[in-house]
Amino acid sequence: MEKIIVQSDLPVAPTGAAPSRSVPDMAREVLTIRGLSVGFGSFDVLDRIDLTVNAGELVCVVGESGSGKSMTALATIGLTPNEARVSADRMTFDGQELLSLGEAGMRALRGNRMAMIFQEPMTSLNPVMTIGAQICEPLRQHRGVSAAAAREKALAMLRRVQIPAPEARFDQYPHQLSGGLRQRVMIAMALVCQPRLLIADEPTTALDVTIQKQILRLVDELRHEMETSVLFITHDLAVVSEIADRIAVIYAGRIVEEGTRDEIFNDPQHPYTLSLFSALPRPEDKGRALASIRGQVPMPGAMPEGCRFAPRCLFAIERCRVERPPLKELDTKTHRTACWRAPLEDSVA
Amino acid sequence: MTSPLLEVKNLYKSFGGNGGLFRAGPRAHVVKDVSFDIARGETYGLVGESGSGKSTIGRTVLRLLEPDSGKVRFDGQEVTALSGADLRRLRRRMQIIFQDPFSSLDPRVRVGEVLAQPIRLHRLREGAAVEARVDELLETTGLSSHHKLRYPHEFSGGQRQRIAIARALAVEPDLIVCDEAVSALDVSIQAQILNLLARLRDDLGMSYMFISHDMAVVRHISDRVGVLYAGRLVETGEVSDVFESPSHPYTRMLLAATPSLSGRSPDAEQKIHGSPPSPFEQINGCAFASRCSFATARCTSDSPDLDAFEIRTHRAACWHADDLPDMTLAGVAGDAAMSPAFRKRMELLRRAHDAVAR
Repeated sequence: MEKIIVQSDLPVAPTGAAPSRSVPDMAREVLTIRGLSVGFGSFDVLDRIDLTVNAGELVCVVGESGSGKSMTALATIGLTPNEARVSADRMTFDGQELLSLGEAGMRALRGNRMAMIFQEPMTSLNPVMTIGAQICEPLRQHRGVSAAAAREKALAMLRRVQIPAPEARFDQYPHQLSGGLRQRVMIAMALVCQPRLLIADEPTTALDVTIQKQILRLVDELRHEMETSVLFITHDLAVVSEIADRIAVIYAGRIVEEGTRDEIFNDPQHPYTLSLFSALPRPEDKGRALASIRGQVPMPGAMPEGCRFAPRCLFAIERCRVERPPLKELDTKTHRTACWRAPLEDSVA
Repeated sequence: MTSPLLEVKNLYKSFGGNGGLFRAGPRAHVVKDVSFDIARGETYGLVGESGSGKSTIGRTVLRLLEPDSGKVRFDGQEVTALSGADLRRLRRRMQIIFQDPFSSLDPRVRVGEVLAQPIRLHRLREGAAVEARVDELLETTGLSSHHKLRYPHEFSGGQRQRIAIARALAVEPDLIVCDEAVSALDVSIQAQILNLLARLRDDLGMSYMFISHDMAVVRHISDRVGVLYAGRLVETGEVSDVFESPSHPYTRMLLAATPSLSGRSPDAEQKIHGSPPSPFEQINGCAFASRCSFATARCTSDSPDLDAFEIRTHRAACWHADDLPDMTLAGVAGDAAMSPAFRKRMELLRRAHDAVAR
């Protein structure tokens, strides 16, 4: 399938080898991660993760604190802490191998063809720089755009993310904005260079629900308009039910289930995925206890043998405690789960 | 009918203005004319977004903040009129649990001492009985007695929230204000803590004022609920009434914005816009009118009271509550909107869970 690249009104990035569009596989897969591990000291926080983000796709990584979901995002954009050991069989972005790119190469990429937004925009925006200057910066840095052209583009971007009175906001500082507006500024900044991939790490977790809904809608609209792929990190399955194309559920550093949005929501297989659903109070649960998971996510130094979810799993058998279940395909090519007992209705009496 | 445990009448609270350190600024009117009551053993949910005044109400009820005007009556006693020893005695019966247990626990005090202090302070037990009570509290909240010698930083977020709950229980309160008590927790831990809070309430007969921005959580745990917008209660009633026939457009917007497992509710899609007004703003008429798709001229000039719409205990401050169109909400449909495979597996999980719990 030939991917149509919409001509940007900006000069093309001068740095880095132009990715080959002739290889169909490469055009389709914006991000390909195979066997990614991230460790600290003797601990692994990510254990051989495979993840693919196709062109125009919104892929969601769902997991709780300590699952490694944020580390997946940081490793992709090359922002893991200095002491982290990062290894992978393959980590290609737009045809380029990321791990051999080096710091200079990653810097040319970040904010340009790959951008990231975070949970708390206040901590990732520069408090002493005006909003306008911060949105212009990636344009000036990566595209060598003139100050006047950058200003014009930044204002257009502020308008697009629906910031009221953009001319006035342009010269304001982050503290003068509400949380919702700050997140819009972050999005404007991240998308101003029309990146191929946007990484969004819990971008709406700190926001009120009505603001969250508006931000989710905005991200969804913009990714279609700009043909940007999105890697969306969250702990809340319900948040992505409306915008995810595909979902990977991650637990204790391993992907335990992945599939299209409909496969995960209509046919959830892994007991951990089921537990994430059952932890959200549903109208049916009124007046009864939620079917919660026992215990907590294991510490990086104390990972259980076999399936890492086994000690908390209501369906675990002896095999689960000794033998690691592979992430294997179910009925469709896209739906995979790592559970010895799936499908549950066949194995649970 | 017995009198309610807590009665809040025409509560007003504002901040800033003349009391400022360097200048006389404008005043932020954060709570405006709020009235509600909570019966013994009842859970009253207060929902609203940031700045709606929900936490300020919780704190004013405990008199951690002084109200501008209005009355708070607890078990027949005027909280707002008490001081000194009388207030301290009353405070034993009202406790609060905060969102972030880490910042509300002293990092240098061991957990055993965190729990023993209030018991000794209020002379609820003496000598060895204090220790026994601490063990009992730890067990009740799903911790164990060997945790006594540890410091707060040695615990996970969920465990710290259990410690905060144990500390609140230590003084055998009648009312606990839960101020976003589960909001900072991961979903699986949130479910554990919600179960714990529900079990404690049922076992001990306490009342909760459950403050949260999360509609699904409030619906799950509360008997009755009040919806706050810009410092005012805009709708209140039994949970089933408010969630199944929301009668204020703001409640509808909140419900439509709440993420639902069953995906898009196209009905609600385009109606969510704008943000709440600033507490410094002087608003004529209904504070929600500028964001409301049903607003008329009357709404922008004439502020509706909670009795503008009233069916038994269900009340809403909206001139048009009676003529709002029917609304289909994905969130309300629950599991019925999910696939048969989803329902089957949830049932398997439920059965396995209940078998272990028994």
